Amino acid sequence: MTVRDAPATHSPVATGRPPRSTSVRHVAARVPRSIWPLVAFLVLFGIGGLIRPNLVTIDSLIGTATFAIILAIASFGQTVAVIQAGIDLSVPNTIAFSALAFLGLAGPLGPTGAFVAALLTGAVIGFLNGVVIAKLGLTPIVTTIAMNGLLFGVILLVFNFSELTAIPEFVIGITSAKVSVFGLEMAAVLLLGLALMGVLQLVLSFTGWGRSLFVVGSAAEAARLGGLPVDRIRVVGYVVSGVLAAFAGIVIVGYYQQASATMGASYLLSSVAAVVIGGASIFGGRGSVVGTVGGALVLAQVSTLVAVLNLGANIQQLIYGVIILLVVSLYGRSATT
Amino acid sequence: MSVASPPVVRLQRTGMTRLRREGAIAPICAFVVFLLVYIVINPELLTRFQLQTAANLVVPLALVALGQLLVVLVGGIDISIGAVMSLCNVVFATQLENVPPPVALLLAVGVGLACGLFNGFLVAYGGLPAIAVTLASAFIFGSLAREVLDRPGGGVTKEIYLATSGELVPFLPVSLVWLSVVAVLLWLLLQRTALGRHIYGVGSSMESVRAAGIDARLTKLLAFGLAGMVTSAGAVMLAASTVTGDPRSGDAYLLSSIAAVALAGAAFTGGRGSIIGTVLAACTLGLIGNLLFFAGVNSYWQYVISALIIFTVVGLPVVWARTTSALKGIRS
Repeated sequence: MTVRDAPATHSPVATGRPPRSTSVRHVAARVPRSIWPLVAFLVLFGIGGLIRPNLVTIDSLIGTATFAIILAIASFGQTVAVIQAGIDLSVPNTIAFSALAFLGLAGPLGPTGAFVAALLTGAVIGFLNGVVIAKLGLTPIVTTIAMNGLLFGVILLVFNFSELTAIPEFVIGITSAKVSVFGLEMAAVLLLGLALMGVLQLVLSFTGWGRSLFVVGSAAEAARLGGLPVDRIRVVGYVVSGVLAAFAGIVIVGYYQQASATMGASYLLSSVAAVVIGGASIFGGRGSVVGTVGGALVLAQVSTLVAVLNLGANIQQLIYGVIILLVVSLYGRSATT
Repeated sequence: MSVASPPVVRLQRTGMTRLRREGAIAPICAFVVFLLVYIVINPELLTRFQLQTAANLVVPLALVALGQLLVVLVGGIDISIGAVMSLCNVVFATQLENVPPPVALLLAVGVGLACGLFNGFLVAYGGLPAIAVTLASAFIFGSLAREVLDRPGGGVTKEIYLATSGELVPFLPVSLVWLSVVAVLLWLLLQRTALGRHIYGVGSSMESVRAAGIDARLTKLLAFGLAGMVTSAGAVMLAASTVTGDPRSGDAYLLSSIAAVALAGAAFTGGRGSIIGTVLAACTLGLIGNLLFFAGVNSYWQYVISALIIFTVVGLPVVWARTTSALKGIRS
């Protein structure tokens, strides 16, 4: 019966559209989605070169990539949350909380202790998010918005901002310090971000937990019936998301060498934007950290172009919006309509 | 069964049932408790000045939350609502310098409607997810707002302030009157017109609504458009009560409007949510800061307490249902 029903439910969509089996489409559909944002980035880079030929330099590429990798690191946690059909809107204040906790604890615990402690706060935040979402059944959006608000209050209540100025050396060493690779000068954060991307992509693609995250994201009920511990996978997913956001907080504090209560605010929408442009489905079950890096590169290249052409921050935001719309209309159609 | 019961009783019962079904009981109770605590701690609330200040504080939030509710009812969510609010806010404030106030108001509402229809068209006819579309339009509308006016300013006058945020008669702030007008009109529309019932229907079961021959896409589009108009009303009230237009004024309302709708017990899958619950939830969330100020508590606690209220009010019914069903399972 289900076999007979299946074409019937799809027929309203299929009728009236040309068949999709043209060879170009076929080939395009087989290319991994995470390639497209990288292609888009290269196209934008080329456009930049056409407008200002002096833009096509390795230094300019590294500059854009450094800016992009910081946004990407802040969006890795968001990627994990989106893959499992959730969303983490507590990223901004998790970033701020972990950064401030790191600076505050660096004195008493030493840099390493503070580093671990800051990541632990991220884990606790993620755990609370996950438990409320998975066990209480609250919507991810509402839960993480409430958590974001709660963290903002805690940040303002707990930290004494005037004391938080000393940035431990080793964090600067892994972020803003210059390193030389094949004779090219670049900030250490670029290598750190790419390494993190590699590790995360391997975990997501090749470990049981990584694969189960995609299953839970695309068909939670089927996963449950199939015997997967869906709630536990979800909770662990949010813990990972929280830890990654906390890590981003430490990286941001190391690179920009300042911290404030609102330091994460700009990552609320831009982290989701990077994930969406990176080809993840906002409904879950699809996404990759490589794609997220590509999405961040696209956003960063746009901001480089806008800065070079002197168009102003407003136009940059406008272009961000148009790009998201384009990406979503290319492959964001909901499965139900 | 319903035929046997007298009509009056049935009416009352449906009213209560409707409130319960729409999840409005918890936020109403939360508001009553909150208000009692507030009055005990700070009886001064019932003075003319404080009533007016408190009303001006909560009315913009309540209106934006109603806008968010409309989108949530059709199963969407509006990430761009803060940007729409900023845009309408600056359009209203800047146009006051050029045209008479009623025209400026119409322009602001028109811009809100246009923003809503833009989102609604892409969601309903483009088949795109609301969260992604409104994420994109949040960037677009936000940049338009800063194009219109790049720093706080505009031509909001004292007369506008008095007309929207003053007192109608002693002890009755005008802003509450405007809020009631919008809320009652919206309630009539949702409960007493076909479009309103379709909005609830589209949210709760898209397939059944389609099978019944209702134009689900048009309904979604209209819900988004209506949401834009209600949001613009909130933007105008904010511009008037702060006597300024500010291209970033709406930013804070994105998260708080969603929080208010959540506290109102609305279902983010659509089809459930009440107007009275949303208005009262917005009042509760909007006044927590004030309450703490008067209680002599560090007002930073308001963020923590708001979050805890949301977790409690939204989470308790779930826990309650779980425990009762578990208990029933043990008994049987």
